[in-house]
Order: sequence, then C-alpha cells, then structure tokens
Amino acid sequence: MFSEQAAPTAQGLLAPPSAEPPTFPRVPVSGYSDCSQPFQLGQRSFCRQYAHIYAVRLAGTRPGLERRARSRWGKDVVLRKLSELQAGEKCCVVGTLFKDMQLQPSILQEISEEHNLVPQPPLPKYIQPSDELILEDELQRIKLEGAIDVQRLVTGTTLAVYGCEEEDGKFLVEDHCFAGLPPPLPWNGPSSDRFVLLASGLGLGSVSGEALLSTQLLVDVVTGQLGAEGEQSCAAQITRVILAGNLLSQNTQSRDTINKAKYLTKKTQAASVEAVKMLDEILLQLCTSVPVDVMPGEFDPTNYTLPQQPLHRCMLPLASAYATLRLVTNPYQASLDGVRFLGTSGQNISDIFKYSSMENYLEILEWTLLAGHISPTAPDTLGCYPFYKSDPFILTECPHVYFCGNAPHFQSKLLQGNEGQRVLLVTVPDFSATQTACLVNLRDLTCQPITFSGFGADSED
Amino acid sequence: MEQPRRITDSFPRRRRRGPGRPPGRLKDKKDKNKVQVKVKVRDSPRAPSPPPPDPALLEMLRRFDLSWEYGPCTGTPRLQRWERAQELGLSPPGPIRDALLEHRDNPDVTYRWVWVGGTG
Repeated sequence: MFSEQAAPTAQGLLAPPSAEPPTFPRVPVSGYSDCSQPFQLGQRSFCRQYAHIYAVRLAGTRPGLERRARSRWGKDVVLRKLSELQAGEKCCVVGTLFKDMQLQPSILQEISEEHNLVPQPPLPKYIQPSDELILEDELQRIKLEGAIDVQRLVTGTTLAVYGCEEEDGKFLVEDHCFAGLPPPLPWNGPSSDRFVLLASGLGLGSVSGEALLSTQLLVDVVTGQLGAEGEQSCAAQITRVILAGNLLSQNTQSRDTINKAKYLTKKTQAASVEAVKMLDEILLQLCTSVPVDVMPGEFDPTNYTLPQQPLHRCMLPLASAYATLRLVTNPYQASLDGVRFLGTSGQNISDIFKYSSMENYLEILEWTLLAGHISPTAPDTLGCYPFYKSDPFILTECPHVYFCGNAPHFQSKLLQGNEGQRVLLVTVPDFSATQTACLVNLRDLTCQPITFSGFGADSED
Repeated sequence: MEQPRRITDSFPRRRRRGPGRPPGRLKDKKDKNKVQVKVKVRDSPRAPSPPPPDPALLEMLRRFDLSWEYGPCTGTPRLQRWERAQELGLSPPGPIRDALLEHRDNPDVTYRWVWVGGTG
C-alpha cells in the first residue's frame, strides 16, 4: 500500500533535485454527501423526560427483532408481551434491558444525607458479580436468569429472549438474540486507490509538548511536504482527513477558576483559548491542501450530551475561511466516494467499556453493530438529548466503515454479514498517546496504521 | 443666534400608559363646560370565543392519553404524540386527530391530561 509505493523511490532523497520539480495533483473530491442530518439538533428543548426515547427505541426496533426471532426459533414461535406471560410456557419476549448494578454512580446516593457517603471515585469498571439483568417492555419488567451473560450486556439494549417464566416470577432464558447487522447498502466504491486519514485525540493544550512534533509531522505528510517523490505521490491519494474528537486535551478542562473569587481570576484565560488557537493554525495548514472533517469529542468546547453539535466556526477564524473545512457532529455519518462512513469520537464505546465485562474496544464496536444501536447506554449513563420522535442512534443501514475514536490501541477488522454486508471496523487510537493515525483504502476496505515518533529509527510510513 | 434645539423638537414627548392602567382623561382646561371625553384604550371588537369542547370529547382524549400502545403521554402535546404514533405504524384512531385540529386553540384539548395541582 503506502509503504510499497513509497519504497522504490526512497533513494530519491539522496539524489540531486531534478531540474523541473514534479507536481502531484491531489485526487479530486467526488461524491461527498453528508448524511448526519438526524444528529443535527435545531431548536433544543429539554422539558421532556427520557421515557420517550426508550419508548421510541423499543417501538422502532421491535419489528426487526420479531423478524429475527421468527427466523431463529421458527415461524410459529409464540411472541408474548410481559403482561401476557403464562408460567411454564415457552415463548419469546422483546424488550429493553436494564442492568441493576450496585456500583453504578448514583447522584441520589451521593447527596443523600442519611448515608453520609463520600462520593465514589471514578472506577475503570463498575461491574460486579452481583449485577442483575431485568427485561422491560412497555408495561412491565421481569428479572432474567439463565443462558444470558449478565456481565457482558449493558442497559438500554433491545433484544429478544426465548424461554419460559418460572414459578418464582423470574424468566429463565434459553436463548437470546439481538437485531443483528442492519440491511446492506449498495457498494459504489472507487476503482483506484483512494485513502482517507482517520485521526483522533490530537490533545492540543496539554502540559507536555511531545505530541506537537508528531502532529506537525502528520500535517506535513498529508500536505505532501515530507518524504521523497514516492511518499508525496502516495499522499496525493489521500482524499479526506477526519479528525474524530478530542482535539483539545483533558488539561484544558480544569475548572479551578470557578471556585475562586472573581478578583483573583480576572486576568486568567481559560486554557482552551490557547489550545483552540493552536488547533486553528494546524487546521489552516491542513485545509489549504485537503478537505478536513472535524468532529467534536469529550473535551472539546461544544455541548456535553450526545449528539454533540459541530464546533462553531467563530472559534476557528483562519481555517473556516476555506471551504474544505467541515465542522460536523458527533456521531458523524457521510458518504465519501460511494463508501458510507459512520463513526463516533469514542464516548459511546468507552461508556460501554465501563459497564460491561468486554475488554476489547474492537469487540465492543462489533457488538454495538450487531445489537443495532450506536450507543445503548445513552441516556442511562451517557448524556443524551431527550429525543421524542425517533431515536437517531438506531442503525437502519449497514455502513461500510464503522469507526470509533480515542481508543487505547489501533485495531481493525473486516466483518462479513449474511446478507452481503461488508463492514470495516476501525478503532482509531488516541494520537497524543500513541502518535498513530489510520489510513483507510476506499477501494478494498483495508486499513493501515501510520505512526509518527520523534525519536527512534523505526517509524512506519 | 438661533434658538437652541432640543431633542423634544424632533421627538415630541408622549405620555405612555402601561397596558393595564386605566385610560387617562383628556383634560381641556378651556372647555370646562363641555363634557369630558373619555377615550377607551381597548375598543377593538373581540372575536367570539369558540364553543367549549363537550365532555365526551375530553373523555375520548383522556383515553387516548392513557392507552399505553402509543407511548408515554407526559411532556408532549397530544397532536405530536398522535403524529409520532402514526409514524411508528401504531395506527392511532383518526377521529382523535380531527378533534385535535378542530380545537387547536383550546389548551385543555391540545395538552395532555394534567394532574390537579401537579406538574406531571
């Protein structure tokens, strides 16, 4: 791929410059369309409760789950609501899961005076062996036990369970199934090599400036200012750069100034101001050369609840003068050259990681695709806008590339589905920690990591 | 030297009354014998208020609120709930929508059934 094309001309660096410097035109942008309208909120009203989003989620996924249940357990499987259950009868129930966790941080417990508890420090995982799974449908709830992995599942998932109700009022599960991979999209991918660079977690504004050199190297590679003619011709095939969140580092989030008196904090500037200026300069260099999509992340100056709205262009005055800069929502969905991309900045995956026994980010990413929902834990443990008409996080079509940002390592996998779906799952690593970005080849859905390290003889290119 | 110009030459002083205040009386000192003219502030004719909806209609709407098939009823106007149920394919009854559109101005009809003395 990249390295194979670049290697033969590596000696070109030692040769004298040619009389006429060659130019490499970047591959033209063709076929971009933004499909993230469901994630763009216009007028926001927070007077509604979250019961609506759960009701719509269940109503929206129920038909698909009933179809899957019939195909898995036979056409004449009995589908019952919880209110119609009869003890001892084998039947299938469709509902939403609720996981009752002892260690789940509860604001009511923290402020309750009778407990006098110190607020619980954040733990990496909140699972315990004593957790219980409860299935809820529109009217009732029932405790689940049996052939179901309590530790692995999280609240908010809709699924179908097959089993029977026992004498003591619990439901004994024999088998369960999720919505499965959504129906496939037609493939219109390009016939020649086209690359998209995925990077996340640039982490500007952090105390240490080590990642700045790597960020500058990344920008130089993409804009073709690094390497010999081989690398430059490869870089000309990069059609787009997607920055998947956490452009600012967590250090910019410090809120010490809130507790201090106003006269002490009059002249102090928020740390994010300097960081956003740096971001603007980096984006300016990128935007002059390649279209860039900027997604907000956990530590970026936008709203906290999912879906996060795009950063405002007034923060990036130099870069937003260029039409190649696109400020987009988190989650982000777009069709690039006929290939459908869908991804988030990683808050959904890391939230599931905290409340499930799954250890691997790629495994969690695959599980969310098979469960048919981008972020089932919203709004329970992850902040979410109170939707009432439809749940935009339900997956209705299968994307070709499904990514999540700010993962601890780079991992990728090509998933094949029964109905001809081909999905490339990519966990984009945190650039400030790993100095690694990903290059996705749109022609054959392969992915390659690209690492920039300041010292050391082995830096893959 | 010309007369010093005042701002009140271009913007004459007008005495403004608040919306809820009683209308002032025009005082004309020269014509004390004449009948004082009272100017009414509100003299636009009011549109006739629509007939109140009958209790049977309100009862039908209450039953629509409490039917669990169409989702939760709190925090959203009834018409929005009806349209959402329609989009999800739950086939809510048509007469409800006609009644909601007919009595659009009446807040008892458009909003869901409220607990007496609660926020719901």
